[in-house]
Amino acid sequence: MAFQILLNFFIALVWMFLSSSLTVTSFVVGYLIGFILLLMMRRFFTVKLYTRRLWAAIKLTLLFIKELIMSNLSVLFLVIRPKLAIQPRIFALPTDLKHDWEITLLSSLITLTPGTVVMYVSDDQKVLYVHAIDAGDVEEAVHSIKNTFEKAIREVSRP
Amino acid sequence: MKTNDVILQTGTKVVFFIIFLFSIHIFFAGHFAPGGGFVGGLLTTAAIVLLLLAFDLKTVQKALPFNFMIVVAIGLLLALGTAAGSIIFNVPFFTHAFGDFYLPLFGESALHTAMIFDAGVYLVVVGSTITMIQTIGGDS
Repeated sequence: MAFQILLNFFIALVWMFLSSSLTVTSFVVGYLIGFILLLMMRRFFTVKLYTRRLWAAIKLTLLFIKELIMSNLSVLFLVIRPKLAIQPRIFALPTDLKHDWEITLLSSLITLTPGTVVMYVSDDQKVLYVHAIDAGDVEEAVHSIKNTFEKAIREVSRP
Repeated sequence: MKTNDVILQTGTKVVFFIIFLFSIHIFFAGHFAPGGGFVGGLLTTAAIVLLLLAFDLKTVQKALPFNFMIVVAIGLLLALGTAAGSIIFNVPFFTHAFGDFYLPLFGESALHTAMIFDAGVYLVVVGSTITMIQTIGGDS
């Protein structure tokens, strides 16, 4: 995937030098032409075209923004409630993610959405310990995180 | 008790480059905008301190194998050399020269010897602060 993006940049650079105008416009035109060429030649690559992963990354960003707004609202409702009826608890979240950056991204996403904070990553990097402000049902909390963030991250890393 | 610092270390690997780039930008912006050698040097130091926090002293010393005392000396030499260069042209000490030059990549740009002086300040700040931190952190 990185190779494809590099190739696309290289084609754009070659286009800039061919048209002998070193401007942003000619770079963009060359990039588009390179993308069309990659689309035509996609059968020769061993991996899929990089647009799928780019789209997955965009979807992950949109999901993150949505979750951020929703969970901030839910914490707001917790705060303005006259009675503090919360059930704080720490639960273990088993994860299937392998790479360091995936673990970091998942932890950052869990931490940035209010109500849950990652406290510790286990030494073999298979379990995250998460503190939730109001987790009535641990199973359900684990399930929701696994189904949203982890699935989206896995789509970015392994399409 | 060894903890798993995977989040801190992965974050550092990304953020270090951003801080370093920003420090270079601040250093070059010093003439017309806020910034300059001192702030740029401190920002570079901050990036290296972040590395020191995320990894350990030995790893960072292996990655940046400079003797920072010598960096301080080079910085002082640069500053002094810029100031003393004016003597050759029979003008008072610390007189700066400047002018517009045509550079191959940047096009028309104004060059000023104050920037070399600033680079000296930058090196002195980076060298002295890292030397302090390494000597304090080195005593265990």
